[in-house]
Amino acid sequence: MKRSGAQIIIEQLCVHGVTTVFGYPGSAVLPLYDELYKNAHRIRHIITAHEQGAAHAADGYARASGKTGVVITTSGPGATNIVTGIANAYLDSVPLVAITGNVDVPLLGKDSFQEVDIVGITQPVVKHNFVVRDIEELAFILHEAFRIAGSGRKGPVLVDIPRDIQTKLCTYQEMKPADTAAPIQKHGDLQEAIQAIKGSKRPYIYAGGGVVASGAQEELLEFSRRICAPVGLSMMGMTALPASYEWNLGMCGMHGTEAAAIVESESDLLIALGVRFSERATGDIEAYRKNRTILHIDIDLSEIDKNVPSQIGICGDIKEVLRSLLDTLPQRENNAWQQRAAQLKSTQNVSSQNNFSPKSIIETVSRYCRSDTLIATDVGQHQIWTMLYYPFEKCRTLLTSGGLGTMGYGMGAAIGGCIAMGGRQTVLFTSDGSFGMNLCELATAVSQELPIVVVILNNQSLGMVRQWQTMFYEGRYSQSTLHRKTDFAALADAFGAIGYKAATLQELENALQNAPKVGPMVIDCPINIDEKVLPMIPPGGCVEDIITS
Amino acid sequence: MEKFTIELIVANRYGVLNRITGLYARRGYNIDSLNVNETADPQFSRMLIVSRGDAYIQTQMVRQLSKLYDVKEVTLMATVNFKK
Ligand SMILES: Cc1ncc(C[n+]2csc(CCOP(=O)(O)OP(=O)(O)O)c2C)c(N)n1
Ligand SMILES: [Mg+2]
Repeated sequence: MKRSGAQIIIEQLCVHGVTTVFGYPGSAVLPLYDELYKNAHRIRHIITAHEQGAAHAADGYARASGKTGVVITTSGPGATNIVTGIANAYLDSVPLVAITGNVDVPLLGKDSFQEVDIVGITQPVVKHNFVVRDIEELAFILHEAFRIAGSGRKGPVLVDIPRDIQTKLCTYQEMKPADTAAPIQKHGDLQEAIQAIKGSKRPYIYAGGGVVASGAQEELLEFSRRICAPVGLSMMGMTALPASYEWNLGMCGMHGTEAAAIVESESDLLIALGVRFSERATGDIEAYRKNRTILHIDIDLSEIDKNVPSQIGICGDIKEVLRSLLDTLPQRENNAWQQRAAQLKSTQNVSSQNNFSPKSIIETVSRYCRSDTLIATDVGQHQIWTMLYYPFEKCRTLLTSGGLGTMGYGMGAAIGGCIAMGGRQTVLFTSDGSFGMNLCELATAVSQELPIVVVILNNQSLGMVRQWQTMFYEGRYSQSTLHRKTDFAALADAFGAIGYKAATLQELENALQNAPKVGPMVIDCPINIDEKVLPMIPPGGCVEDIITS
Repeated sequence: MEKFTIELIVANRYGVLNRITGLYARRGYNIDSLNVNETADPQFSRMLIVSRGDAYIQTQMVRQLSKLYDVKEVTLMATVNFKK
């Protein structure tokens, strides 16, 4: 039977288990939107306020559910509006399929109305991208797009589909999803790893997003207990272990905990699991490598020895590698090392000068949350405070922009995550700068009746920029003080959401108790402009340089 | 710095050359010479790319190139003595 290109897209989405897509229509995707209209019972389409929000929503959907997110936009400005969202997904290895319309094939390359070379534009920030110039290739390309996005180290794939391809007819043969668990290139010697672990007196695990992506939380916990190794987490790995686990030292690196920094510096073996050794996590590489063996395990061979040379590198799926290690490694005893880690963890306590501080706000909100509540953040001080003070217990409960550090990510991500998990309780920690970038998506949260609580840690500034200017630019606050008069509570009301202003913990609790079951709420929490993210290891520094007050 | 040659078997399709040279450009590695030929099987082309770099750069390039969808095979050729 012959089908149109638009029908083939719908069929391929359904075959790949897609039930929800995020997007925004325009002339180059009208044939597809006509089919979405007819297939509304099979695929739910969420219209956002801005394409960037749709891309972040598809990303949040993928992070929360582990499924591949889908975003659809028109050509030209619709396509360029999702570039940040694609780059964001690329740097955090989030599986995403972006479908963009384009002008008719004969008009390509002629600077036609709303034509851009989105394949060229996105090339450095996708795993792969395609232009469909022949309808006969459409089904196969979409099949490949989902396979690439969801296999190995996951990431975004863009498929550019000219408008006339969507209307042409061709015979459609269903292409079942590929096995995304396709074998990964194996590299490295497990025996060497086992010997290094057995010989280590003070092993330390640095775990990242790869653990979450491969669903290896249980294995990580068992591994840490088995070999008596405390764990520090990268930002992407914050949900790889429960915060309550006694040897989970929390985030490591520039804005990590002091306990993680000290234990890391005292270790003789650093076991890096699913991380890329971002310079924000390592600081000075020479100091980082000194006096310890580095064992790096990652699914992406090109990550091994890229940023930090390792003595032992193993390429493979984290879950599988950990299982093989657990099969052979005996239970260790290491009281002194464990006590050292546990003692450092228990004494770490950043005091807050005033009562209504970022810490007390986040702790108050966390008491109102359940263990599966989705936490989204934007980018800045509030993001780091969330990492330091929010007790993440369950995997995939954090939606945050790690690699790209995208201000404005949070609102879209919260929407996507909340929808992916069937309207689960969701909290967005944000601040005035970031929230100002994509607050238009409040409209989407209202129309979709999503129970998202937006907590604005409102420091009337680009706090993170201000902190750097205080510390490294002698207080020259260039463009970081926002002389705005925005009333966020009234703004929320104007969007049809519920708005509150809370200046005390009591007012915050009252607001939280009134959080609606359907529809979003915004709580504007004014905080001191000079609150700092501490501890901090300055760029390129090491544990000796840590600033704690 | 040491010259090295990478041999690639790639899909014979528009845009492929761009993806490969883009990878070199993003990392700031100059391409000293480049050869592209269709293989006996017209679906594929063979590329020979000469550039410069130490062992770290050579390994990185091989591993990054291997990740490209259109790249089917990557071989780091034995270093040729260019000064003979
Ligand atoms: C899109 C984007 N532009 C600029 C930056 C640089 N930047 C990083 S943090 C920051 C300040 C964020 O301010 P705000 O959202 O108010 O958070 P706060 O630090 O005050 O908690 C800026 C401008 C960025 N990360 N993303
Ligand atoms: Mg702020």
